[in-house]
Amino acid sequence: MTTVAATHSAGPSGRRRRTSTSGLRRRLAPYVFVLPFVAIFLAFSVYPLFYTARLSFTNWHGTGAAEWVGWDNYTYLLTSPAFWSSLGNSAVLWLLIIPVQLVLGVLVAVLLGSAKLKLRGLYRVAFIVPFVTPLVAVAQIWVVLFDQHYGAVNALLGLVGLPDVGWLTTSAWAKPTLALLFLWKTTGFIVIILLSGLQSINGQIYEAAEIDGASKARQLWSITVPLLRRTVMFAVVLQTLAVFQMFAEPFVVTQGGPYNSTTTAGYYLYNHITRADLGTGAANSFLLVILVMVLSLMFVRMLRAKD
Amino acid sequence: MTATVKHEPRSRPRIGSHAFLMLLLAAFLAPVAWALVSAFKPAGDIVSSPLSFDPSAFTLDNYRAMFQDVPIGQGFANTAVVLVFKGAITMFFAPLAAYAFAKYRFVGQNLIFGAVLVTLMLPTIVLIIPLLLEMKALGWVNTYQALILPGAVDAFAIFWMRQVISAVPDELMDAARVDGCGEFGIFWRVIVPVIRPGLAGLGVLTIMNIYNDFVWPVVVASNERMATLQVVLSTLAQNITGNRIGADYATVTGELLAASSVALIPLLVLFILLQRHFINGIMAGSVKG
Repeated sequence: MTTVAATHSAGPSGRRRRTSTSGLRRRLAPYVFVLPFVAIFLAFSVYPLFYTARLSFTNWHGTGAAEWVGWDNYTYLLTSPAFWSSLGNSAVLWLLIIPVQLVLGVLVAVLLGSAKLKLRGLYRVAFIVPFVTPLVAVAQIWVVLFDQHYGAVNALLGLVGLPDVGWLTTSAWAKPTLALLFLWKTTGFIVIILLSGLQSINGQIYEAAEIDGASKARQLWSITVPLLRRTVMFAVVLQTLAVFQMFAEPFVVTQGGPYNSTTTAGYYLYNHITRADLGTGAANSFLLVILVMVLSLMFVRMLRAKD
Repeated sequence: MTATVKHEPRSRPRIGSHAFLMLLLAAFLAPVAWALVSAFKPAGDIVSSPLSFDPSAFTLDNYRAMFQDVPIGQGFANTAVVLVFKGAITMFFAPLAAYAFAKYRFVGQNLIFGAVLVTLMLPTIVLIIPLLLEMKALGWVNTYQALILPGAVDAFAIFWMRQVISAVPDELMDAARVDGCGEFGIFWRVIVPVIRPGLAGLGVLTIMNIYNDFVWPVVVASNERMATLQVVLSTLAQNITGNRIGADYATVTGELLAASSVALIPLLVLFILLQRHFINGIMAGSVKG
C-alpha cells in the first residue's frame, strides 16, 4: 500500500519516466517472444529450402564434390517411367480414397449432426479412435490381418464361401488394401471437419424445407451438400496433400511392392535417399511440391468458379 | 405434399441409420480390438484360426518373447525423451509467440506471421533431404537434438493459440499492467490461466503428433540406440527374425501383435481419459486452412 502511495506522490515527471521504460519494454517484448520460432524457422525451414533448390541442380551423392548439372535431374525425372508410375500410383490411390471418404464422411457427419440421435457421443468418440492410433502400429496389424494364407480377412471371406485374396501379394489388390488402411485411419478426422462445417449451416433453412415438404434425402442433396461445399473442398485439399505424401503405409505394409504397384510419390522420393541419389531427390521434392500446389489451387479455383 | 406426410416415416430411417452407424463402428474398432485380443492368443492359434476366441487359452507368451526380441523399451525411452523436450518447447514457446502476434503490433509482424503460414502449408517431404544433410553437417544424425529441434516451435500451435489468445479481453491485460505486471508477467499470470482449456487441447494434440511421428525419425534416427518407438515398430519383422533363430511365421506374428498393442495402449488410454480435449484439439486442427 505504501509503495502505491509513493509512486503516485512522485508526480508527473516520475510517472512519465516509468511509462517510457515500460514503453520500450513493451515495444521490444514481442520480438523476444517470437524469437525462438524465428530462429528455428530460419535454421530448419528457410536454410534447407534454399539448400534443396541448389542441390536439385547437382549430382551430389552425399560424398565428394557436387557437380553442377543444370536441369538434368529435372529432365531425367520427367522422362523417367518410374517417376511417372509413382505419380500414377498416388493418383489411383487418390481415386480409390477420396470419393469413398467424402460420401462416407458426409453421411456419417449428417447422421451425427442430428441432435436427436441417441449414442451420438459414443459414435463420435469411436470414429476418432483410428485417427488417434499410431499409423505404424496399425500398418503392422494390417500386414497380419490381410495375410493371404493366415489373415483374419481371408478367414472371414472363407466363412461366406469366398476364395482367398492375395491382398498384399498381387498388384491388383495391394493398392485397394492400402487405400482401405488410409480410409480407416482418416475418415473419422474428415467426419469431424464436416461436422464443424455442418454446425455453421443455419437450422432455419431445414425448417423452411420441411414446411415445403422436402424429404430428408432431398434436403441432404439440395441444402446440406451445396452449403457444405466449402468444407468439403477444404477436406479434399488436405487429403490430396496427405495422399500424395503417403509414405508410412507402403513403407511398412508393402515396401512399395508387389512390382512397384504401391510405390507412391512419397515412397519413391524416399528411395532416392536410400540410394544416396540426393540431387535427383531434391529435384523430385520440388516437382512433388509443385504438383501438390497446382492440385490445391485447382480445387480452390473450382470452388471459386461455382460461388 | 402436406404437413401430415412428414410425421409418419420417423422411426424407420432412425433404425436404418443406427444400423449403418453400428456397422461402421464395428469396422472402425475391429482391427484394433482384434489385435489387442489376438496378442493374448497362443501364437499358433493366431495363424491357424485367426477368428477363434477362447479366453481360457490366453497367454502372455507373445509379450514375453516380444520384450526379449524387440528393443521396444529403448524405443519407448527415446520417444519419451523427445516427447518431454519437444513437447515442452512447443507448449511454452508456441503460445508465447502466439501472444506476441495476438496482442502486440510490431514492425515485421505480418512478415513473420507469413513465415508461420508458409511453415504450415509446406509439405514435410520437401525438407527431408536437405534437413538430413544439415544434420549430417552438424554431426546430429542419430541424436536427440535432431529429433527434437526441427519443427520444435510448431507452426500450427502458434496459429491456433493466436486465435485463442485474441479472444482474451485486453482489459484483463491493462488491469495487470496497472498492477505493475511486466510483459512476460502478463502472459504468464493473466493469459496462460485464461486459455487453459485451449492449452489442454494443444497438449493432447502435441502428444499425439510427437508420439505418432514417423517420417522424420525413420530418416534421421534409424540406428537401434536412437530409434523412437514408431521406428522400432516399423522394422518389427526384421527385428524379430534377426534376434530369434528359427522364428517361424506364427511366432513373428504373435510378437508383432504384442508390440503393436503395447504401442497402441498408451494413446488409447490417454484418449479415453481426455477424449473431450482430443476432439477439441482435432476440431481446431481441422480448421487450420
